[in-house]
Amino acid sequence: MSCVNILEKERNVVINPLKTCQPLGAMFAVTGINKGFPIVHGSQGCSAFVRYGFARHFREPSEIAVTSLHEDAAVFGGRKNLVAGIENLALRFNPDMIGVITTCSSEIIGDDVYGFVDTARENLKEQIGEDSKQIEIVPISTPSFVESHFKGYDNAVKAIVNHLARKEEPNEKINIIPGIINPGDIRELKHLLGMMDLNGIFLTDISDPFDAPLRPSTQTIPFYPKGGTSVEEIRDSANSLGTVSICKYAGSGASSLEREHKVPAAIESPPIGIQNTDKFLKNITKFSGNQVSEELLDQRGILIDSMADNAARYLFGRKVAIYGDPDLTTGIARFVGELGMEPTMVCTGVKNPEFAKDMEKIAKETGTEMDVMVGQDLRAVEVYLKENNVDLLIGNSDGRLIALDLGIPLIRVGFPVYDRVGYQRQSILGYRGGLYLMDLITNTVLEKYYEPTHWKLQQ
Amino acid sequence: MEPIIETFESRKKHMCVKGDGISIPVCDKASLPGTVTQRTCVYGGARIVLMPITDSIHLVHGPIGCAACTWDIRGSKSSREDLYKKGCSTDLHEKDIIFGGEKKLFETILELNKLYNPGAIFVYATCVSGIIGDDIKAVCKKSEELTGCRIIPVQSEGYQNHNKTKGHWIGGDALLNHVIGTKEPEKTTPFDINIVGEFNVAGDLWGIKPLIEAMGVNILSTLTGDSHVDEIAQAHRAKLNIVQCQKSSNYVAKKMEDKYGIPFIKVNFFGLDQTVNSLRDIADFFGNDEMIEKTERIIETGLREVEHKTDEYKQRLNGKTVALYVGGNKAWSLVRAFEELGMEVMMSGTKNGIKEDYEMIKETVKDGTIIVDDANSTELAKLLKKYRPNLLISGAKEKYISLKLGIPFCDFNHDRISAFAGFNGFVNFAKEVDASVSSPVFELTSKTFGGD
Repeated sequence: MSCVNILEKERNVVINPLKTCQPLGAMFAVTGINKGFPIVHGSQGCSAFVRYGFARHFREPSEIAVTSLHEDAAVFGGRKNLVAGIENLALRFNPDMIGVITTCSSEIIGDDVYGFVDTARENLKEQIGEDSKQIEIVPISTPSFVESHFKGYDNAVKAIVNHLARKEEPNEKINIIPGIINPGDIRELKHLLGMMDLNGIFLTDISDPFDAPLRPSTQTIPFYPKGGTSVEEIRDSANSLGTVSICKYAGSGASSLEREHKVPAAIESPPIGIQNTDKFLKNITKFSGNQVSEELLDQRGILIDSMADNAARYLFGRKVAIYGDPDLTTGIARFVGELGMEPTMVCTGVKNPEFAKDMEKIAKETGTEMDVMVGQDLRAVEVYLKENNVDLLIGNSDGRLIALDLGIPLIRVGFPVYDRVGYQRQSILGYRGGLYLMDLITNTVLEKYYEPTHWKLQQ
Repeated sequence: MEPIIETFESRKKHMCVKGDGISIPVCDKASLPGTVTQRTCVYGGARIVLMPITDSIHLVHGPIGCAACTWDIRGSKSSREDLYKKGCSTDLHEKDIIFGGEKKLFETILELNKLYNPGAIFVYATCVSGIIGDDIKAVCKKSEELTGCRIIPVQSEGYQNHNKTKGHWIGGDALLNHVIGTKEPEKTTPFDINIVGEFNVAGDLWGIKPLIEAMGVNILSTLTGDSHVDEIAQAHRAKLNIVQCQKSSNYVAKKMEDKYGIPFIKVNFFGLDQTVNSLRDIADFFGNDEMIEKTERIIETGLREVEHKTDEYKQRLNGKTVALYVGGNKAWSLVRAFEELGMEVMMSGTKNGIKEDYEMIKETVKDGTIIVDDANSTELAKLLKKYRPNLLISGAKEKYISLKLGIPFCDFNHDRISAFAGFNGFVNFAKEVDASVSSPVFELTSKTFGGD
């Protein structure tokens, strides 16, 4: 028996949110560009609190400029601040790209960001001549009162691609839209592409910017970590073999490349577990013609081998509640299904009609009766879990108190994870990431549900 | 004269060296647009001073981000409820922007009251609610009448000012206008006080409270660490306010002095000398012989308990330099504590200092100390790289800037997990500072592997 019950939010108030506003997603995307600099056109809190959040999760500096809008700007418009802000940023930091990220206030007061950017470009040309052309300035519209951080990420990737991608000679690369994932995840995706004998263009790549080495002698000021996708590479994304967006509900950058530059697109769940990773690799094969190597098949086999070792013995039939961003949530739900566990509740803070449909599919595959909460919050998760037993919780650190109160072990995934270390460096993607996630789940189950006295009997 | 660091022309006046003639930097100005300012918004300022009120719901009236990025980010501890840790938002959407968010706010307040029956609901205005002109006050009044719960407007539109301090004041105003003086204490004593500007970060209050109570002083309320709104409501009957965070809370203390005639004294429980002085100042204020005598005994016991407990740390820390870059208060209140450890404060700066704050810093630090105002992340990195202190004291946004340069860091902000106030707090403080400065990791970064 399988079915999906959609649980709608029955109140106005959001309590302990599972989403934030659009600009965060855009700041994340721009950080993944080599010598890219986000500038937020809004109040100082709009950048400060996001930097704080990134710092806590990634344990890295997060450099985000702001136009510091104040009362006069709210009355007379933010033109002066934005034009001066872009100039200051360009002259002082010499970035390759500036992502101009709007906010609720700048959108409501109706600032003509495109016009202001043009003015800033002209001013820069007067001051530094042709050099100013080396600095790409991309307006990214991210009104905070529309949808969520997920939409902001989507809007940013789309704006960057639309602004930069140029059709030229075909390359042999695959574009990847990774979504809001960890440095470890991106490194795993690179590994998978490498095993397929391919290079990727990541739109964008936070792996090095948010996991940079501590080498004081090489430390530049301003802080430009190495890595991230270069502007040149993003230009070249119009010439790739195809685009795979593993950020299922934010794939409009992929669609745009397909529409504008005939780069075929595949928009799928992230490669978490066997079937999702298979699908990912098949899409890569479809676009490139490159076959999955023996070595990769071995990695797949190792994951299945370990699943065979553990899943039936320890995991089968265990109930799991999953909350977080919709892409990771669908991916994880399918994987725990493959492990024989039952994803009895999934919750996302983001509203997306596709999400519920995908969950219905997964419920069918896994034969689970699944409660699906869309556009909900952690309060809803808490209330649900008080009435419905589960064995495990999978989600970000914000659920730690619920887990503690109810005595349910929490497997930490997604953003933000701030009460444990190292999670940002691990990957839950690909076959190797599946191994890591399964081990994490299994060890947690062993710790919580098995007596240590008879270990040798329980092997 | 060589500039302190290379920076924008307009920013140079925001840095100075004490003793070089001008000993106060230009301050309290809008940050330069397009820089990575370490400042935040007015809403953030109001939120941090009120958030420690534990029996209350803190409802943010705006798009989701204002609540989502700030809920439960202050390490203020509670001995009772944890209602204050919830992140509540009206989650304004496009249609609310167009038609106004008042109705949604009203319904949200009713929902929260029904769900939690809180001591109060603080309703924070954000940039958006300000721009669209929602009348938060009217909605609060109406819902207060309907529910009987205290519904308190906080007019903290984020864009109001470049200085977060304005937000501290707005938070204070919310208490002054809607809470303080609305309830009479069951009993009063001649020695009633309020502890103002103590937010119980990491449990600091619990290091101070027992000392003060042992003196025979009755603590009517704390603004706002580990407090209930009903306790703050009785604060007007105190005979004295003692102010720990003078940056955020001198304002409230002055207003209470004007309105209720309650005098205030500035105290500082960071460091042994300062703790001793503060306890004596309180006793002196009351001038009660028995209390003065008791206080001396408390001081004696307190000092004896921690004697030699910091010797090992001091040995390692002696002569090491420290840079402070903080919100305000700690730029002066920590200086003596570091001196007691044998360390030298080589730089002190604030993100939101006003003139009176820099006067305090100037009075506290030695000649030759660099004083900086509103250093953005690049300037901070340059200062650290050029002057290479042995330790930076700052907050989470600054932490990784410092560490990337191989400079040890110690959190003295919201993320702190050890209590630093009072006698025992000083031992924790010494221990934590030592753990940061003396960690062998930083040897690895500076010792070379042929290059680094």
